[in-house]
Amino acid sequence: MLQNVMSRVQNQNKWWFFIGVGFVLIFFVLPICRLVYLSFSSEDGFTLGNYTSVLQDRSTWKTIENTLYVVGGSSIIAILLGVMTAWVVAYTNIRRKKLIQVFIFFPFIIPSYITTLAWTQFMSKNGYFAHLLSLLPGSVEPLNMYSLQGIILVMGFSHYPLVYLLTVGVLRKIPRDLEYAARVSGSSKWQSFQKITLPLALPGIASGGFLAFIASLDNFGIPAFLGIPGNIRVLSTYIYEQIVGLVPNSFERAATLSVILGVIALTGTFIQWLLLKKTKHMETAVEDKEPRFLFSNRTRFTIELLLWSFLLVTTMVPLLSMLSASLIKAYGLPFSLENISLKNYQFVLLENQKAITSLKNSANLAIITTVVCLVIGTGIAYVRTKKPSMMTKGLEMIIGIPYALPGTVLALAMIFAWMEPIPGWNPGIYGTISILFIAYVTRFLILQVRGSITAFMQVDPSMEEAARVSGSNGFNKWKQILMPLIFPGVISGALLVFLTALTELTVSSLLWSSGSETIGLVIFNFEQAGYSTYSTAFSSIIVLFILLAFMVVAVLQKVWDRRMLHHDHSN
Amino acid sequence: MTTQIRNVNKSFGSYKALHQINLDIKEGEFVAILGPSGCGKTTLLRLLAGFDSPSSGEVWMNHKLIANSTFFLPPEKRNIGMVFQSFALWPHMNVRDHIHFPLQHHQFLSEELKTSIDHRVDEVLKMVDMLHLGERMPSELSGGQKQRVALARAIAPKPSLLLMDEPLSSLDAELRMGMRKEIQQLHQVTKASIVYVTHDQSEALAMADQIVVMNKGNIEQIGTPKEIYSSPNTPFVASFVGKANLVKGKWEGAAFYPFHQLSIKWDGTAVTSELRAKNLFPARPEQLELSLSGDGVKGIITNVQYQGKEIHYTVTVEGEEWVVHQDIFAEFSIGDEVYVHLKKWTYGKKMDERKELHFA
Repeated sequence: MLQNVMSRVQNQNKWWFFIGVGFVLIFFVLPICRLVYLSFSSEDGFTLGNYTSVLQDRSTWKTIENTLYVVGGSSIIAILLGVMTAWVVAYTNIRRKKLIQVFIFFPFIIPSYITTLAWTQFMSKNGYFAHLLSLLPGSVEPLNMYSLQGIILVMGFSHYPLVYLLTVGVLRKIPRDLEYAARVSGSSKWQSFQKITLPLALPGIASGGFLAFIASLDNFGIPAFLGIPGNIRVLSTYIYEQIVGLVPNSFERAATLSVILGVIALTGTFIQWLLLKKTKHMETAVEDKEPRFLFSNRTRFTIELLLWSFLLVTTMVPLLSMLSASLIKAYGLPFSLENISLKNYQFVLLENQKAITSLKNSANLAIITTVVCLVIGTGIAYVRTKKPSMMTKGLEMIIGIPYALPGTVLALAMIFAWMEPIPGWNPGIYGTISILFIAYVTRFLILQVRGSITAFMQVDPSMEEAARVSGSNGFNKWKQILMPLIFPGVISGALLVFLTALTELTVSSLLWSSGSETIGLVIFNFEQAGYSTYSTAFSSIIVLFILLAFMVVAVLQKVWDRRMLHHDHSN
Repeated sequence: MTTQIRNVNKSFGSYKALHQINLDIKEGEFVAILGPSGCGKTTLLRLLAGFDSPSSGEVWMNHKLIANSTFFLPPEKRNIGMVFQSFALWPHMNVRDHIHFPLQHHQFLSEELKTSIDHRVDEVLKMVDMLHLGERMPSELSGGQKQRVALARAIAPKPSLLLMDEPLSSLDAELRMGMRKEIQQLHQVTKASIVYVTHDQSEALAMADQIVVMNKGNIEQIGTPKEIYSSPNTPFVASFVGKANLVKGKWEGAAFYPFHQLSIKWDGTAVTSELRAKNLFPARPEQLELSLSGDGVKGIITNVQYQGKEIHYTVTVEGEEWVVHQDIFAEFSIGDEVYVHLKKWTYGKKMDERKELHFA
């Protein structure tokens, strides 16, 4: 009998093993293989011709040059802003750090195309910034956002939270004694920052910088909104134009460009991963959140004033100018009481069929993607933390590839993989909303896996072991012990998946079809057609919804925490 | 319930964590597994719990095979309870829920207990003196109270084998002493077999019926606390448990000549044949004494540590460092040339002598 049980257990494990490997191969590996294969193929079989023709094209080189400017410039802005804000928040005695952090994360929460829209409104001829400048003597014009500088600026502001996030933790983990020791040894504040703090934080900073680099390569919304009108192309928009433009050999060309872009992005991801591993040795160190530089009230006030003006000008003010633009009857009218109306909102919410469909589509996509990712991702995270082997580690890395790849590249891979999954058989996935659903799960699964892994890591293995020696393994263990413990972490991951899927633009811009439009795509189309009032109105609704979602989750987590800690006991 | 471990090996990759382990745990016995960190004692415990399986060999419980190289019974299907080093209290459950959980799920609960779960919760809470704190959450408990909850949870379903993984190591020194007594009392009341893993030899000596000394994945010696302490079989046991100085020399019957100096003769009746075969004499610090003159082994004092009730000296003898504990009445300083003797009366002999005096 025991032998029976044994073989059953082993068979069960084998089944799961094969299902897991099959799932990863079909959804994650195969699409990328097809993309690479297509870039090397022509009607006569294997060829390098696609690469030679693409690389001989002058416009390819112009695009690569633009990409370098945009990626390099925006990464530098992101690193400078990220390190400065991280240092101020980690080390100084400024007040309201939690609120400041919320504002720093703001550009991270709002989809970048909405941020772009907000900036174009802010910088427009009759926007807030122009009003501000007209108060100054002389005739200074606001920056033309439809330019390389515009793209670089918005991208830098959108990506500095990444650098901040990876730097602030590292800074806090550097023991304060190290800097004190340098000061006692006779170095000045600036010298000890240069020689002690900076080198120790460098892996974190560099890792954040690479993340900003990858995010800039990947970004489609900003160059699409700002670059396409001004004929400025970067690789992600160039690939998009190849496919949408339907020039001869467009798919082969797009595949080839995608492989080039994909290789750059994956190299960046790999370097970032190596750097992140380097900061791992500090992982056990505790974050020291006490301020290390105690400024006098006046200095502190100056720093706070500067920081808050920066945060408000880069987050709230553009959003407010977007909001005010959306409330105006017709584009170009000044913002005054008699010109205010809600008719733009009425149009996008009640009259425009495309906008209404897109709301339904995106909501459906986001909910289904979140639920599927929640179950599969948490399952994978559980196996990954319980059995940390090369096998599960490899699994996690492969699942991460579709997210590390630029969205345009992934979208293209999805088209090739699902148009005819088996040559000669078209199941009708491409051209319906199903392909978007598959693409979203493939792309965002890693977000849930990471979120859930973090949640599981924070639960000591003995929690589960104690449940097992108490006789429980299976449903009751999950329901009564594991689920309550991982809930807060898992729900943060799910929220991220939900919001990213809800407002996604890059992948859907290539995979949409009539009837499967998404929110991002409709906003993009409004903007391209020149309906700024509609696009800003629709964007304002989305921003409000995102803020609402965050508040709900924050309250939910607080309630949960309170239940855990049982603050209200009478004693 | 009896538990047998037969020729068990356990490897993690190329690392051998356990090597040919054989161990019998009798019904109701308190067995302490003692060893330094990395000796394999926790691996052995996890094998008994069912969190790991042996690479080869067999584990039997109650005359039933529960684990070998191809099969193992998971923990929830074994009649065990366990106390974890970190207590492993569930932060979202109050004290009562903790005791309630195993009573709901343990698969070896007697019919009698099944019908009186709430009564059992009260009973167990009373046993660990936590009845008044039943509604508290773990975050509102002190270290000692957490420990009591962990103990109560483990014993609630009356498992026949209780596993304890260094349960006292996260408590401070004073609390540890108090908890020893409570664990001993629980052992007497529950009558369960206990396997208690520790690196603290005084804990093992104080509580266990049998001590298993482990080192580098091997069992060095199994015996009662007294056997382990006064008659170590191996140099490792002598130095780890008794902190003995391993003195080299020559054996002739029960007589020992340190450093082959035939003028000095130590009585080694209590020393086991295994150590005699290695030409070693395990001299515990309290067995030695110092004097400024005489016929002992000559040495120089290199370190003095005042402890209050005694003084710990380090004496360099023939290039080796010995530790000698002396009462505070004889004081020596660093650099003093001293002679080291074996005290005339070892512990066992003194007892005999007293008896003789008593009868005289």
